[in-house]
Amino acid sequence: MKKLFIILGFITSILALVLAVTPLSKVAYIPSVAALICGVFALYTSKDKQHAKKSIQLIFLMTIIALALTTYKAVFTKAELGDIKQLEQKEEQLEEESIEELENLDIDEIDTQ
Amino acid sequence: MRLLPILTLIFLGTLSAFAQNNTIAAGEKLSYSASYNMSGLLTELAQVTMETSEVKTSKSTLLKLKCTAATYSKWDSFFKIRDLYESYVSPKTLTPFLYNRDISEGGYEKFMKYKFNHKTRTVASLKRKKRSDGTTWEENTSVKIGASTRDLVTTLYHIRNLDIHKASIGDTQNFTVLFDNKETVVKVKYLSKETINTALGKKECYKLGISLSNSNVLKGNSDNLLWLTADENKVPVYAKFKISVGNGELKIKSATGLKH
Repeated sequence: MKKLFIILGFITSILALVLAVTPLSKVAYIPSVAALICGVFALYTSKDKQHAKKSIQLIFLMTIIALALTTYKAVFTKAELGDIKQLEQKEEQLEEESIEELENLDIDEIDTQ
Repeated sequence: MRLLPILTLIFLGTLSAFAQNNTIAAGEKLSYSASYNMSGLLTELAQVTMETSEVKTSKSTLLKLKCTAATYSKWDSFFKIRDLYESYVSPKTLTPFLYNRDISEGGYEKFMKYKFNHKTRTVASLKRKKRSDGTTWEENTSVKIGASTRDLVTTLYHIRNLDIHKASIGDTQNFTVLFDNKETVVKVKYLSKETINTALGKKECYKLGISLSNSNVLKGNSDNLLWLTADENKVPVYAKFKISVGNGELKIKSATGLKH
């Protein structure tokens, strides 16, 4: 039982840590909570044995790092638009091309059809 | 007598194809934030804008409908999106004449151009794609279309121009959209009237369900929803799309230059 919780705790805490680094950091809350629960259960099921404590501590450490990073990102980073100069240039160029193409078009003819 | 229903259908079809535009004016700018929602954890992905402007050629004045999507800077190094969809339409009837689609999604680039010829009911289509080695290739095709086939952008604006106040709850209407040189039927169902909170304040909205027939994307009626304000502007204020895990959302941030 204890082993299962430790393994699950490791998987979820590593997942939380990986997610926390990506821009999708808010999703990292889900595996973080799961890792914490697994860690607590593992701690309760292995009360007497000393050697298993180390791995449980590691689970908690990784989860806390992930949580701290996620919370920091959620509070301090704002969604800002990147560089869209290229897109604007493309727009202008496309508009010029399109006007040339539409030059011969007589819309009144089509509208009154 | 059997011909009568068919004739009525054709007549109604042409009516809807060349309905008057009372909703969309030049100079309108709507700005949205697209986000990914997974059990309440909202992650902002991209900014989406919808703009209209006037374009003059020597013979006529056209309305340009433009939609752009650009990812926020935190995503740019992971998956950069810079999409541009535009359509040149008649300001009176919203009939499309030229459609450009220039997409750049995480290194994948594609350009599509449709030139509509409503007399012969054909579309001259140009597809330009980038190969992995950086060179481009082009493909010119001619596609036969139906009387009321539109492009994607025009369809979106056309839905706004519908007389939803005359429709009753449960009504559906089909639209034919030309996408990737294929005609796809989009089904729009008027689900209910709802009051929702938006960045523009508390608004009474028409809730529409959107589904595509014969396609795996956008399946079902209640998973893909669009809210249009229940006034004369019919501004799309909120949209929700079902994805395999979680769902995507499109929320309005600002609206300027509205007609009414």
